Amino acid sequence: MLIEFQNPLNSSALAFPILECIHIVGFALSIGTVAIVDFRLLDIGMRHQTPAQLNKDLSVWTIVGLSIMVLTGMMLYSSDPDMYYLNWAFLLKMLFLVFAIVFNYTIHRNVVLSGASPGKTKMVAYVSLLLWILVIFGGIFIGFLNPTLDVNKI
Amino acid sequence: MSLFPLFHWVQGTAFATAIRESALVYPIIMMTHLASIALFGGMILMGDLRLLGLAMKDRPVADVVGSLRAWKWLGFVVMVTCGVLLLSAKAEQYYPNPFYWLKMTLLACVGVHALVFRRSVYGNLKAIDRAPQVPGTAKAAAVISLVLWIGLVCAGRWIAYYEPPKDAVQALSR
Repeated sequence: MLIEFQNPLNSSALAFPILECIHIVGFALSIGTVAIVDFRLLDIGMRHQTPAQLNKDLSVWTIVGLSIMVLTGMMLYSSDPDMYYLNWAFLLKMLFLVFAIVFNYTIHRNVVLSGASPGKTKMVAYVSLLLWILVIFGGIFIGFLNPTLDVNKI
Repeated sequence: MSLFPLFHWVQGTAFATAIRESALVYPIIMMTHLASIALFGGMILMGDLRLLGLAMKDRPVADVVGSLRAWKWLGFVVMVTCGVLLLSAKAEQYYPNPFYWLKMTLLACVGVHALVFRRSVYGNLKAIDRAPQVPGTAKAAAVISLVLWIGLVCAGRWIAYYEPPKDAVQALSR
């Protein structure tokens, strides 16, 4: 059954681009803070601080950024759910996002707080950076695919 | 003097045409543009928040703002290079777009900002750490940097939403 519902976001031409801007600032904050820790793990920046010290300072900003990013992301999604659902770049992005968040708060967190061999530490930093970059790549690619809803296939 | 002939020429080069017509190269350049904003824009953001005393207070300014400087520069170069490539592919569409020119103005302001505050703030980080609190000049630099960078992101996004008057581009090329 189809329910008649007008998403208020779709009645303003400004809502979508404004949300996109907040979304970008949100992911710059979350991914930027994770990247600072990763650059430390790779020994290419912030060498005078330990990864655990950086994590203590930055984790709250990562959460703030993630919350902004996910909240605005869900609002953007709500503007045209069918299109996103049928868009494989969007589905891949969600997959990478889940991987990135889970990785960040499990393996990545353990290495940051407890340390690991140099090889493992560097590998974890590379994987972390790669996963977050893949989330962005998926996000950009959404706009370059334009699936149309084929009513006959539902 | 109009710059349109330059934009027209750039878009017509074989290189720009190849980017424009490739289904993969154009999005990949845009992804790289956004990935550098996320990684290095985020680092700039944290540097500004540190100067304002809002984040990483226990870490020296010299480390937070200074130790990632080379990487932020590299990120900036990657970001600008990708931006120029994206521009070249669709230069004629960008020319009449006020948000594109706003973005270029803000970018020029970022350059001026770096020069103006080079001696007092960015080349003087150790002294800022020795001071009992972050000086007003450094806080002003941070606020201006935040405004400029968030403005750049917004102007950049709005480029995609501007619809030129229908005959604007044709009128220019006549």
